[in-house]
Amino acid sequence: MSALLASYLPIVIFVGVALILGLALLVSPFLLAFKAPDDEKLSAYECGFDAFDDSRMKFDVRFYLVSILFIIFDLEVAFLFPWAASFGTLGWFGFWSMMVFLGVLTVGFVYEWKKGALEWD
Amino acid sequence: MMPDMLSSSLQIAAPELILAIGAMILLMIGVFMGEKSAQTITGLSVAVIIIAALWLILVTPLGVGFGGSFVLDPFARFMKILVLIGSAAAVIMSVGFAESERFNRFEFPVLVLLSTTGMMMMVSAGDMIALYLGLELQSLAIYVLAAINRDSVRSTEAGLKYFVLGALSSGMLLYGASMVYGFTGHIEFTQIAAVAAESGRSVGLIVGLVFVLAGLAFKISAVPFHMWTPDVYEGAPTPITAFLAGAPKIAAMALLTRFTVQGFEPLSDQWQQVIVFISIASMAFGAFAAIGQHNIKRLMAYSSIAHMGYALVGLAAANTEGVRGVLIYMTVYLMMTLGTFAVILAMRRRDGMVEEIDDLSGLSQTNPMMALFLTVMMLSLAGLPPLAGFIGKYFVFMAAVHAGLWPLAIIGVLASVVGLFYYLRIVKTMWFDEPAEAFVPMAIELRAVLWVTGLVVFPVYIFVSGPIFAAAEAAAKTFF
Amino acid sequence: MEIGLGHYLTVAAILFVTGVFGIFMNRKNIITILMSVELILLSVNINMVAFSAFLGDLVGQVFALFILTVAAAEAAIGLAILVVFFRNRGSIAVDDVNTMKG
Repeated sequence: MSALLASYLPIVIFVGVALILGLALLVSPFLLAFKAPDDEKLSAYECGFDAFDDSRMKFDVRFYLVSILFIIFDLEVAFLFPWAASFGTLGWFGFWSMMVFLGVLTVGFVYEWKKGALEWD
Repeated sequence: MMPDMLSSSLQIAAPELILAIGAMILLMIGVFMGEKSAQTITGLSVAVIIIAALWLILVTPLGVGFGGSFVLDPFARFMKILVLIGSAAAVIMSVGFAESERFNRFEFPVLVLLSTTGMMMMVSAGDMIALYLGLELQSLAIYVLAAINRDSVRSTEAGLKYFVLGALSSGMLLYGASMVYGFTGHIEFTQIAAVAAESGRSVGLIVGLVFVLAGLAFKISAVPFHMWTPDVYEGAPTPITAFLAGAPKIAAMALLTRFTVQGFEPLSDQWQQVIVFISIASMAFGAFAAIGQHNIKRLMAYSSIAHMGYALVGLAAANTEGVRGVLIYMTVYLMMTLGTFAVILAMRRRDGMVEEIDDLSGLSQTNPMMALFLTVMMLSLAGLPPLAGFIGKYFVFMAAVHAGLWPLAIIGVLASVVGLFYYLRIVKTMWFDEPAEAFVPMAIELRAVLWVTGLVVFPVYIFVSGPIFAAAEAAAKTFF
Repeated sequence: MEIGLGHYLTVAAILFVTGVFGIFMNRKNIITILMSVELILLSVNINMVAFSAFLGDLVGQVFALFILTVAAAEAAIGLAILVVFFRNRGSIAVDDVNTMKG
């Protein structure tokens, strides 16, 4: 058990150093910085105007489309990782299997491109 | 995997490959040609299905491929032919609807092809990964199909409901699959059966079995997992309802049969109870809930719930005779459903589609041919002799009686009598009520489907029943 | 205390039940239902990986990988149908999914 824990020692040291450094950078401005408080420094700034509306507004439904398309193509990488890790032992059969899989994905990609799903307007 | 093993596996899976590659090619043709290609794509997709069916019947060898994941046995071949018939008929019947409703989406036939590929994989699944992937390929395509009319609240709502409940059912099925895997250490059905025979029942295995059965009962819309059926049938565009009343039910029934009879044969006294329960519940609920319906698509939904109950009577017998009954029942069910939906798709006046039962009143005077065929279909759905529907019911009930399940058969007969009431109500509306405004003439492809299925339901089935029963017998012997 | 198979199965069962209740008890928002579905599928993945480690059999992890990717496709289709529904109905409240009854 102690041998297991000992192997985590570098991580503990790393976390400790990170903690000290981060706290030091947070605290030092309070101690060292020159202070001249002013209301204008705290107000919202939007290129010289007052803020137009709340930041929690509804946003465009087209973001949904982008995220939906992203999810599908993103998760297929889950198949690429084990394939890449064991590529040496798979040989040509493994290589062509993945090429067929990527080919099927490409068909879907061509479809969404031609349908205009990737264009914003 | 060695190249020769791969090539033999690919030969066994050739019909699926034809469908999948065909779907991708048609998708590319469609997207490069635009919406005007919808007609062409529809025709080509029927051609792809026919090629796959011919290839399946004439060329593909029986066998086991991909290390046991993919099984093509006589049972799978029988069910796959039914699935392909159902899909092809649904695509053919969509042609007139596409013209009259300006429903020219080339994605429709492509999605039907993809869904059919999933169904074929379900029918052939030899382990639980193949089961899950086939099921999801089928379901995901159908979620989109149900919502394909994206400007209609009802269609999108149908898609949404189907998606939510379908996703829940996949989750339950998967949870069951994980338990089965954990408690047997295997995912192949044959090895699960071997472990179950050796070690007997354990609580974990039974829990897994019940969860998987629940997930599959969702897909065949058996009570108590039927909630989605009426709304999806009503809300989805009619050609899509015609599609999902036929082929997916057959594929899910095939999967349920294979999973229980092949994978859990040693525990048959356990799952028999579950099947008996959902069978009785489906028959009774389908019979009584259909009585008050006004919308004919909704009525067909309750009718299909009841018919799944009747088919499960055969499965509950858990022997060769019972499985043969299921196969014959599903064949007859497919014919009756396709014929009825050919009539429903022809219920169109000059100002659009109608789908109330009252719109059929006096049909015998305005369109005697259509009324006659619908009468035959309704009486066959009710199970009156000498129509084909009676033969289907006869085989499943006799199998139950021979297996000692008397009460199940009696409840089935009683439910059929209740069912007769609402089928006869439609017949009465057509023959004895004051004529409503006539429908526009039936499109040629609907007429073709109606003639073929109508003649099969009576009297052609008498002449072809010999070979079909023999094929069903051979298919059922696969498991025993 | 040694963390064994039973602990993993318990966590997965709790997540599964939470997901099922999230679907049935939730009366507000369909997005919540989508999240509940994901929860169910992830609980299955925990089960699969735990059994796989316990049995010393890789098939469970392969199964988990497939579940993960199919779940992504399922979520994408669910969101797409939901967006289309919102465009027609103007709402994604569960109580507004009610044009068909009977």
